[in-house]
Amino acid sequence: MPNKVTIWKLRNNNPLRKSYVNNNIKLDEFDALIKITVEMSKYLYPYMREILQSKEDVEKNSIIWNDFNKRFIELIKERFNLNSIRVKKLLNQTDNDEIIIMSLVTLSLCISSQGYQRLKHFLYDF
Amino acid sequence: MQNKLSFHQSSVSLEIIGLPDYSNNENKDQISIISQWKLTIINKPLIEGKIEHLEPIMDAFYIYSNLLINTEIPVYESKLIDIKAENLNMHNIVLKSSKPDVKPLILKIGNSLLSDTINCFDQLNESSKVRFKKNVLSYNFPEKVRFRLKNKIKIFNLLMPPFIAICSLVLFSSTFIYFYNPVEDKEEKELINAK
Repeated sequence: MPNKVTIWKLRNNNPLRKSYVNNNIKLDEFDALIKITVEMSKYLYPYMREILQSKEDVEKNSIIWNDFNKRFIELIKERFNLNSIRVKKLLNQTDNDEIIIMSLVTLSLCISSQGYQRLKHFLYDF
Repeated sequence: MQNKLSFHQSSVSLEIIGLPDYSNNENKDQISIISQWKLTIINKPLIEGKIEHLEPIMDAFYIYSNLLINTEIPVYESKLIDIKAENLNMHNIVLKSSKPDVKPLILKIGNSLLSDTINCFDQLNESSKVRFKKNVLSYNFPEKVRFRLKNKIKIFNLLMPPFIAICSLVLFSSTFIYFYNPVEDKEEKELINAK
């Protein structure tokens, strides 16, 4: 990744985004994006863990989960194409709980070198 | 004197106790012969055992985590350990003792503790100080997947040059339409025939 602009351009390969551009992502760029995700997950692991823990015990501590969910929906509305059916599913309260939890679990399992392989395997198989 | 190595991840810690293999000229702080291990999960009973129990338990956690992120209903069952998902957030672990008349140990852990445990196992696998037969799940990508990804790029690279070549030929030859006048050509031929 030569600079941040390249990352920004690659980010636009996501078909769910409003600013979707099909740039034909290369295999090296795909691997680089996975490495960035792993590094970000390492840094954010304590926060992701707190969110998961909050969801496990919603009766005792629901504040963190609710805050995260609220911010997640705000970001989707701000950046994603709301006409897409998949985005609508993300905004649906009953469906999005599972998607958020599974995404957080997947990210929290990829904070090591083996985790990098795990995430790569998961994404290649997706 | 035995060596002790600990791996920590938030609420979980894994302790490995053992000796270096001096016959292989290993360092004093190395562990190659594991005599005991202890997995401590906060607010849960201590799990401990010998090397022959560690490998199947690690495998169980790795396989279960892969099932969890890839399938909807993850279930892992073996002689030593069963792991089942109770719901999206909780997982039931049943540890069965090899000794008769010992009741199985039942643990309920959430996603946070499950990821802590797997990250502890990852640390152990990546540690250069502990050597044992690491039955890490290989993440060799199936040929089908690799083919799909690489061939997308290969096919693109394969088809693009001839496509560009044909396009440039069409464009280049179309410019000659302006230089070639069929009427003039006909007149010239008629003159040659007349001669």
